[in-house]
Amino acid sequence: MTDVAYISVPLWYLPLLVLIPAATAAGVLPWLKRRARTRTVPENDPDWSIPPVAEGFGQGISVIHRWDVRCKIVTLLAYSFAVASLRHLSAAAAALGLSLVVLLISKVWFRKVMLRVVALTGFLGMLLVVMPLTVPVHPGDTLVVFGSMDWLVVNLRGVVLAATIAAKAMAIALLMEPLLSTAPLPVTLYGLSRLGVPDMAGQMVLLSYRYLHVFTHEARRMTAGMQARGFAKKTDMDTLRALANFLGMLFVRSFERTERVFDAMQARGYNGRFPSPCDLRIQWQDILKTGIWVAAGAALVFFDYLKG
Amino acid sequence: MHISDGVLPVAVTIGGYAVSAGLAAWSARRIHNRDLPKVAVVTSAFFVASLVHIPFGPTSAHLLLPGLAGALLGPAAFLAIGLALLLQSLLFQFGGLTALGANALMMGIPAMICGWFFQTFKGSTLKRQTIVGAVAGAMGTVMAAVGLALMLMTGGEDFFGVAKIALAAHVPVIVIEGVMSGFTIGFLARVQPALLEPLFHKTAASAHD
Repeated sequence: MTDVAYISVPLWYLPLLVLIPAATAAGVLPWLKRRARTRTVPENDPDWSIPPVAEGFGQGISVIHRWDVRCKIVTLLAYSFAVASLRHLSAAAAALGLSLVVLLISKVWFRKVMLRVVALTGFLGMLLVVMPLTVPVHPGDTLVVFGSMDWLVVNLRGVVLAATIAAKAMAIALLMEPLLSTAPLPVTLYGLSRLGVPDMAGQMVLLSYRYLHVFTHEARRMTAGMQARGFAKKTDMDTLRALANFLGMLFVRSFERTERVFDAMQARGYNGRFPSPCDLRIQWQDILKTGIWVAAGAALVFFDYLKG
Repeated sequence: MHISDGVLPVAVTIGGYAVSAGLAAWSARRIHNRDLPKVAVVTSAFFVASLVHIPFGPTSAHLLLPGLAGALLGPAAFLAIGLALLLQSLLFQFGGLTALGANALMMGIPAMICGWFFQTFKGSTLKRQTIVGAVAGAMGTVMAAVGLALMLMTGGEDFFGVAKIALAAHVPVIVIEGVMSGFTIGFLARVQPALLEPLFHKTAASAHD
């Protein structure tokens, strides 16, 4: 059993350590967000909420596009759990590297990947700030002390732990684009239903996804109306009341809209299921890809296990 | 706050999936087939509503709305929230794929409890509905925050500090959420009281015939 090791650094390191990451985050994050948001989807990026025309399916542009969707879902889900179970930073970093390779192979739209990474930064940023300061001190830990301020102690074990989690989360997040945008959403959901997920759940996801844009549009129109009447958000009761009415109105309108949509769907013969978007056939290449991928996941877990 | 991948122990994530699959199946069985589009609409409306930011001093908080979801949907709230989280996770990476089950439990169970609470105590006057709605909204967020802290603590004592801070960060949200839910329910009670009836409590036989 080793004792706790201390590293003493002069006090002036502290502002350096705090300010530089904070300034980087404050500068880079909004820039990334803006960049990712302002770019619209380029023309060659297919809208993956639209079912494919039968003959166009299965002739995608990459190895992953041509992978049977059922194999793809099962493999990626199992692999994600394998990655989530890793305990060492080196194994997590290897998983991250592997995800980057897959990203290159799958030729997905890079800006959408960036949006996902940006969405993760809030939670992971909190972990990275909080964990080094709050992780309990164990024998063998290395603590960094700033000058004579003994109440502020950074535990390096916390830094490593948070970094491991961040690497794992990123590794899985980077795989979501190759999973989803290499097949249209209806095909992915059809694959899920063929795997035993109730039809109903897939259809609800599809409908919700469709309505999402309708309601975002509705909300934007209502916001514009409120601004035209001179509404500005403040921290007070009136703002809360106005926003509550806004939400209430959003619900009322969405329900009214459903009535009409439902009638229209019934008129077109909706009986609780959509037609299948495609035929799925598993070929030996699909099994091979699944095998390779599962082997990679197993190798990661084994590597992690070897490290103790 | 959604838990991302790689935080929770694998046993907890798999257990979360199993339990929430069971609850979602139970929730789905209380819905008539023809009401599915309706639940889908509420799912996406909640999705959009949760993107509304409420100013809070220099920062802002976004709404969680488990209380309101329960009041509007009753037992179907679990399914709606589960699917909304699935969409969020798939499309925007809010919450990880492996933590999806745990996240659904964290938000869905409070929603169902709040729905039951609201339906039981709402009474018939506008004032009472507003107040009960506010209590349900605040309560839903309290339960979601406690759920989040408990989930984080399954990771071991290294995560206790994070759990405490996450819990503390929810205190202002609880107040805002309560006030907002109260006002929203008051608005709906005046404008469209039919929405506050437990839509899927009884079979939906009367809804469309």
